[in-house]
Amino acid sequence: MGWIGEQVDSIKSIQFRQLLTQAITLGMIVTSALIIWKGLMCVTGSESPVVVVLSGSMEPGFKRGDILFLHMSKDPIRTGEIVVFNIDGREIPIVHRVIKVHERPDTGEVDILTKGDNNPGDDRLLYARGQQWLQRQHIMGRAVGFLPYVGWVTIIMTEKPIVKYILIGALGLLVITSKE
Amino acid sequence: MHSFGYRANALFTFAVTILAFMCAIASFSDTLNSPTPTAHVQVLSINRFQKRPDGDDEVSMTFNISANLRSLFTWNTKQVFVFLAAEYETSKNSLNQVSLWDYIILEKEDAYFRIRSTNKYRFIDQGSNLRGKDFNLTLHWHVMPKTGKMFADKIVMTGYRLPEVYR
Amino acid sequence: MDWQGQKLAEQLMQIILVAFAVVAFFTGYVLGSFQMMLLIYAGGVVLTTLITVPNWPFFNRHPLKWLDPSVAEKHPKPQAAAATTSKKKGSKK
Repeated sequence: MGWIGEQVDSIKSIQFRQLLTQAITLGMIVTSALIIWKGLMCVTGSESPVVVVLSGSMEPGFKRGDILFLHMSKDPIRTGEIVVFNIDGREIPIVHRVIKVHERPDTGEVDILTKGDNNPGDDRLLYARGQQWLQRQHIMGRAVGFLPYVGWVTIIMTEKPIVKYILIGALGLLVITSKE
Repeated sequence: MHSFGYRANALFTFAVTILAFMCAIASFSDTLNSPTPTAHVQVLSINRFQKRPDGDDEVSMTFNISANLRSLFTWNTKQVFVFLAAEYETSKNSLNQVSLWDYIILEKEDAYFRIRSTNKYRFIDQGSNLRGKDFNLTLHWHVMPKTGKMFADKIVMTGYRLPEVYR
Repeated sequence: MDWQGQKLAEQLMQIILVAFAVVAFFTGYVLGSFQMMLLIYAGGVVLTTLITVPNWPFFNRHPLKWLDPSVAEKHPKPQAAAATTSKKKGSKK
């Protein structure tokens, strides 16, 4: 009976090793995604280097579901640039165009007014109560590049969470069951 | 291992990689285009020039814009956003930029235009510094591609001056 | 799909896709139409899918020739393998 025990042991060890390998593969996928994201953050200097357009306020330039690449540099902000900004008390950042800039001479502080290309009026109504201008600290980055439609994946995932769970489940199953 | 699903997956991955590559080259091909746009702006009249109740100066003016931006369009251009901004310096601010008018050009044929307009957005200063002020009018454009990198540039036109007295 | 067929399928996929990409890009660039480029490329992808994904008969022209069991028994197996087979028989008894 010693031989059977040997076989069972070898099978057990194989499965254990396979399980380990798969866990490592999964870890590698997750960490490499994280590395790419953090690397982009370093290169672009923006806390979220890629944003998905969620509203139609910049049509026909940007449609819902388009992806924007952001860059945050020390260069001063000028009119016409498309910036992504955060309003205090609002969770979702907004992508709009700068239409007014007032810059102080010595400190370099700026007052900025924005507007969506497709909106009739400027953004003062979107700002916090009583806020007239955006300052530098509200700006998360300026849009430099553009990729159409790709962002739909994330929109669908956030609006229909079930799709996300199915997808994650299927992927996980695939990783666990696949050999080699 | 070489199953239906495996082949479909390999094909899809390869196809998307090539598509991304094509888009990147298309975006790069834009840099080979060296545009030669021309623009001319004429201020026809100052319609209103007042101090607002809160102490800021406000101007309303009528101007003529003629521009030829056709050379900005390439095969990868979705739209050109063009706008006119007044730029001036005051004692408080080293730079003031105020958009007066903008326009979205979707077709190359529409990029050669001549428009008479009053300022679409309010020309309001931060303070009361506009009397007798020299200012530049700058025609900016922002080229949005179908995919890839966005471009922006401008033509600065100098030598405009606001009147000495409110009207 | 046999080994030769797999290699052929993979090569066909890569060659056809790259060829279509090049053609699509230049046609699009010359005609100044981004949409044209995408259409041609999409057509290429569909064509490639039809050619390389289903298991067509021409991928199976080189079937593997396994040794006949009777032939296999004439050639003795290596030592280790022989030992395990004998053990198996032993344990079954």
